[in-house]
Parts: sequence; structure tokens; C-alpha cells
Amino acid sequence: MVPALELDHVCVSFDDALVLDDVTARIEPGDAVAIIGPNGAGKSTLLRAILGLVPLTDGSIRVLGTTPRLARPRVAYVPQADTLDAEFPVSVLQVALMGRYRSIGWIRRPGARDRAAAMEALEQVDLADRARDRFGVLSGGQRQRVLLARALCQEAELLLLDEPFNGVDSSTQDLFLSVLAAQRERGVAVVMPTHDLSVAHLACGEACLLNQRQYGFGPIDEVLNPDALRAAYATRTLVTPGDQVILTGHHH
Amino acid sequence: MYHLFVEPFAVGFMQRALTVSLIIGAVGGVIGVYVVLRKRAFFADTLTHTVFPGVAIAFVAGGSLWLGALLAGIASAVLFTLSTTNRRVDDDAAMAILLTTFFAIGVMVVSRITTYTNDLVVLLFGRVLTVDRGEIITAAVLGTAALLIVAVLHKELVFQAFDPEGLRAAGYPPVLLDLAANIAVTLVVVAAIQAVGTVLVIALLVTPAAVARLLTRSVGPMIAAGATVGVACGYLGLVISYSASIDHELRFAAGATIVVLLTVVFVVVTLATGGARRLRARRVVTVQ
Amino acid sequence: MGRGDSELDGWSLSSELRLVITSLRDIVESDLLRRALIEAMIVGALGGIIGVHLVVRRLSFTAMALTHATFPGVVLAAILGINLLAGSAAFGVLVVVAIWLAGRRPEVDNSTATGVVLAGGFALGVLLLSAQAGFSRDLTAYLVGSVLTVTTRDVIVAAVSAVVIVIVLAVLHQALVFSAFDRVGAESAGLRVVWIDLAMLALLELTLVVSLPTVGTILSVALLVAPASTARLWVDRIGASMVLAAVIGALCGLVGLVVSNMADTAAGATIAVVAGATFAVSLVIAPMVQRQRSASVRLA
Repeated sequence: MVPALELDHVCVSFDDALVLDDVTARIEPGDAVAIIGPNGAGKSTLLRAILGLVPLTDGSIRVLGTTPRLARPRVAYVPQADTLDAEFPVSVLQVALMGRYRSIGWIRRPGARDRAAAMEALEQVDLADRARDRFGVLSGGQRQRVLLARALCQEAELLLLDEPFNGVDSSTQDLFLSVLAAQRERGVAVVMPTHDLSVAHLACGEACLLNQRQYGFGPIDEVLNPDALRAAYATRTLVTPGDQVILTGHHH
Repeated sequence: MYHLFVEPFAVGFMQRALTVSLIIGAVGGVIGVYVVLRKRAFFADTLTHTVFPGVAIAFVAGGSLWLGALLAGIASAVLFTLSTTNRRVDDDAAMAILLTTFFAIGVMVVSRITTYTNDLVVLLFGRVLTVDRGEIITAAVLGTAALLIVAVLHKELVFQAFDPEGLRAAGYPPVLLDLAANIAVTLVVVAAIQAVGTVLVIALLVTPAAVARLLTRSVGPMIAAGATVGVACGYLGLVISYSASIDHELRFAAGATIVVLLTVVFVVVTLATGGARRLRARRVVTVQ
Repeated sequence: MGRGDSELDGWSLSSELRLVITSLRDIVESDLLRRALIEAMIVGALGGIIGVHLVVRRLSFTAMALTHATFPGVVLAAILGINLLAGSAAFGVLVVVAIWLAGRRPEVDNSTATGVVLAGGFALGVLLLSAQAGFSRDLTAYLVGSVLTVTTRDVIVAAVSAVVIVIVLAVLHQALVFSAFDRVGAESAGLRVVWIDLAMLALLELTLVVSLPTVGTILSVALLVAPASTARLWVDRIGASMVLAAVIGALCGLVGLVVSNMADTAAGATIAVVAGATFAVSLVIAPMVQRQRSASVRLA
């Protein structure tokens, strides 16, 4: 079986400063990997490298058996909803439809089948009744759901979600967890940077601990042990009785 | 009423002025929607100034104005893209330098001929009342080409305006889309040069679409509204400037009248929709 | 003119040099050109100094709007017979308020608001101007300057304004830099950021008004942005880049005037082209020099 993602000693630098240093990982279809690390650790850079949007200084990345650029049509990216302009005059349905644009191709307009697929994706995230509303009038969590629906429309084999659980309400969180689980069952691989360790444990089987350089990759329970976390986060961790680790001193 | 709104256009030159104004008003209103959605009003303004040397050189050399303008527009788009790759230069500054340098080149070229002042004014402000049929056809052709570009690329351009990162992630080439949009704007600028000149073209690109933005909630209606506002103000602007000079002995430059009218409409709509917004908010509060 | 000596066929180095020397001699000997030169250099230096702050605060488009939309103020002042600079300044206030009001609507972003005000204001000026006679000549001088008709009074006003502006910038230096790079931080540190913004705009308007005789409205932005951006390519710190920008700006004024005299082109426009060319050349050279410098550091 072709791995969904292969990172081989990946290094990325900007202006002579190393942003990612020797990251190695291998993800099979149906796996879910949490990228854990403090702010500035290079998590977003790693996502962009997987998308082929930043050049590598060293190492290689293979996505779905091919180069990142060629794999892009089969990779879906879910950004954080607050990066988008809430005033923009688009409807929820139109945003979801954007996921189908690549398959529709240039020039042609979305047809009935595309609309049906978009509505189905919105059903999965429980927002089909808001299809005609303007994207910006929805709450933050709801907007994040629409972006997930957009990614589902793409019917991708690899899902990249940038901090999807940031600031969302608990019902959205539950919804995300169940949608992601359903996707994994269909063989879709998931990569998601996140701050939230408890959610990471719920959603993902693997973790990659990162702070410029890699502090571990593998099954999530093994990688996210207190010693490794302390090393990666420097002094910003707190270990409570019962060996629970709380990350302090980082925020969004 | 007839005297005011219909009679002026019984005369040939006024009919031609009206035709070209309607064409440019409609095209500007539509293309302007993409400018406003992409928040690129400054870049559109830059383009209107950078085509000027192309026009000036073509004018002096006796060649085709629109070809000169087009070449200058493409050259500036390329130069701008090159300068933004350097991270120590910010986009705003790069555009301002491009704008003024190109414009200055145009002025230098024009200043070498003795009838400098008059020609400069014509190139800068247009002369809608003296357009001939050839110029109307040029405007129509260029305008149609611009409309075709945005019609073909519509959904991708809107996607890019809404979520540029997402567009890149989906594998689209942002530079090509930018280039296409910029070419569409350049075509409109060249088409409008005759009517309103380079300095006021920005109004035709930005103001109708800005008004439409305040009045609509999605892109389709916004395009229709933009075209309508552009056309209506083109027509009424001519009516007002004609009436001012014939009935009231006030010489109002036609192009400038259209732009002032567009701005007044913008102000009125801003105030009106702001009021409506507050009314709606108040109603929501009291219902609870 | 004293160019009669040099042959025009075959641009040998000596004949080019002779042309330059002749032009310089013209300038030094002629009252008119001497005044023009001093004015051009003052305006160039001033533009460079305040331009550094302009670029850092991303006010280039606002500057364009100010230059265009204050035009009706100038026309009204001319009609009413009051000081043109006062008319321009008064409308400058209106422009800033207008952009702020238009941009308050969440649907209207800043660049759109600026574009609407820029074009609407300028069209108003054109309208007022066309309603009376004398369209072409006054308009051109306003748009692209006519440094050769600069009076001694203009030069004095420029010099005094330059000194005032530099003093104010020096006093406000820390506040300006802090609020430009970290607006939120500056506010929470107790800085009245809004007042600083307004002070900046006031200084900007004064600079534009003073630059008007030399380069006119549209091209005054060239002297504000190009020397400052060039300086920023070579030097990091704000203070140092202000000095470098002043020098570059003054030199652009000098070279531009000399070249326009030689080539018989509009002076203001030539100065602007020189400023732009300087930037373009630096854009290409500076990275190469940077690379050489860091390469030699690495080898050491």
C-alpha cells in the first residue's frame, strides 16, 4: 500500500534560519497524526511544505506516492476560519462548492451534481439548513465546519487541518471528531497541527512532536510523554500528580 | 423632463458621448467588482497611471494608443511582481514608486513637444464629447475582451479574493490569475482613456462596485448592481453637464461630472445603508 | 544656449561631459536655475526624511489620495483669492475624515475607501476648475510642477518647513517608530496612537504642499517613497535610513534638474524618474552586495 505521506529528513529554512530541522515521518492511509509543538515551532510551515508551497532546503516529501505539487488535487486543506474575511459576500453553499472547483475545471460553472455534493457535505457537518446564509454571519465554530465541508467536497485522500479545534464549541468539536473518524475509516489520512493535547489523543493515533526539530514521531501515547514534552516546550510545561502534563505559557 | 433627459441626445456628438459612457460605465462597474473584492484599488490606481507613458509614447509616435497602453500595462504588472519578491520592499511602496516613475516618464515624453500642456490635459482627462465612431468601437471591443476574461475566470477569481491561501493549496496558479485580472483592468483603463482620461478612470473601476458592495450580499447581484450604477451615472452625468452648460452657463467637464455624481451616490448609499443597519439592529434588540 | 561647442554626432565621452559641465554652469550662473536647484534639493531631502515614516506606516496610497483629493481646496482657494496652501491644507483635513468615515463600514475596506475619495475629490476639483476658464496651464503646473517658476519666497517657505518638520520628527521619533512597528504595544504603553497618526498626516500634508511647486501633486509621492525605499534596502535602522534617504533625495533633485536641463524635459518629471531609477538599480544591486558581505563573514 502506498503511504499517504512520507517525510524524509525534511529541512526548511527562511533567510538562512532553520525553521524545520530533520523531520522524518511516515503515515499510512487511514492514519491520523497530530503535530504538536509550541507557537513558532514550524507546524504551519510543515503543512505548507506538504502542500508543496515552500521549497525544501534538504530532504524530501512524498505525498500519496508522488511529489507534493502533483498530489495537490488529492489533498484537501482546511485553514483556520478566522483568517478569512467575515464580510465577504459569499454564502455557506458557495464556500462548500469551492471544494469542487478543481474537479469542475476552468470555465465551466457548478452544476446540479456539484451542488448536491456540496449539500451532502454540509449535511455531514450539520449545516445544510444554513446553506443560503452568508458565510460571515455564522459563528466561529460553524464557519470552521463549513471549511471542513469544503474539504469533504474535494473527496481528497489526505486531509490537512490547521488547528481545527482552536476556539470551537464542544458540539463542533464532537462533530469534527466523528467526521474525521468516518473519513479515516474510508482510508483518508489526516494531519493536524494542534495545541490541545486531550483532543489530539481523541482524534489521532500518531503524533509528531516538533519545535524546529523533531522530538518524536510514533504512536501518540509514546511520543507525548512528559519528558519529551518538557524538552520540546522547554520550561513551558507543568506536570501534575498522576503524570498529566499541562502546557503553559503558550496561547493563541 | 424631455428637455432635460432626452433632448440633449438628439445631437450626434452627444449620442456618441452617451454610447461610450454607457459602455465604459457598464464594463467598469463589472470589472470593478473584482477589483473591490480583491481589495486591489491601489493596484488598479497604479495601473491607470502606469499605462500613461504607453499612451504618451504612442501619441507622440503617432501609433495606436491602445497598443501603447496595453504594452505599458503589461510591463508594469511584470515589474511589480518582480519587486514584490524582495521582502525588504513592501507592496504599497513598490506600487507608489512604479506609479510615479512610469507616470513621470510619460510626462517627460509629452513635455518634449511644444503643445505639451493641451495634449497632457487631453490624455489625462479625456474628451468624451469629441469621441468618434472608431473610438467607440475600440472601447466596445476592449470592454468585451475584459468581460470575457472575468467571465471565464469568475469562480477562480472570487475564490482567490476570498481565500488566497486556500486557492494556492488547491493547486491553482495565483500569479496567472493575478495577471489575467490585471490585464482585464488594463483593457478597461485603455477603453476609458478617451472618455474620462487616465486620472479619473479609477473612479469608474472602484466607485460603482463600492456602491454595489453596500447594496448587495452576494457576488452575482453585486455585478449587476455595479453595472447598473456605472451606466446610470454615465447617463445622468452627461445630462447634468449638458444642462449645466446649456441652461445655466456653467461649464462642467463631462468626465468629471460623471465621477462626482458617482461619488455623491456612494455617499448617499453609505449614509442610507448605515441608517438601515442601525434600524435593523435596534429592532432586534426591542423584539427580545 | 551654451551647448554650441559640442558636436552632436557621435556621443564621445568628452562631449557628454562637456554637456554636463555646460548645464551645471548654466545652473550656477542663472538665478532661476539656482533657485530651482536649491528648491529641488530641499524638497528631495525632506521627502526622503519623512518618507521613511510614510513607508513604514504604509501610507503611500493615503498620500496619493491626499495629493489628488486636496485639489478642490486649491481651486476654491484660487477662486476665493486666499492662500493656495491654506486651501489645500483645509481639504487635507476633509480628505482624512472622508476616508475614515467611508472605511468605517465593514463592507468597505480601506483601499476601496481611499480610491473613492481620491477620485471623487479630484474630479470635484476638475469640475470647479472647468467651470471657470484657464483650464490647461494652471492644471498642468499643479499636476506635474514647474520648478523653473519657483520664487525665492517658495524656497524660503520650503526651507523653513523642512526645518520645522525635521524638528517635529526628531521630537516624536521614538513614538513614531514604536507605534509603527507595534501599534497595540504602543497603545497599551500609554501612547496616544491616534494623535501620532494625525501628527504624521499633518506633517505629510505640509510636505506635499511644500513640494507642489517642484514636482506637483502626482509626482510628489515619488520623492516621498522612492528615496526612502532605496535607503531601506541598504540600511536597517530608521534613524540611519532617514539620513540616507535625505541624501538620496537631495541627489535625485540635483541630478534630475541637471538632466532635465540637458535633455529639455519637464524638470519635476525627470527628478521623479531619477528617483525611481535609483530605487530600481538598488533593488538589483543591494541583494548582491548583501550576499557578498555575508559570504565574506562566513569565510572569516
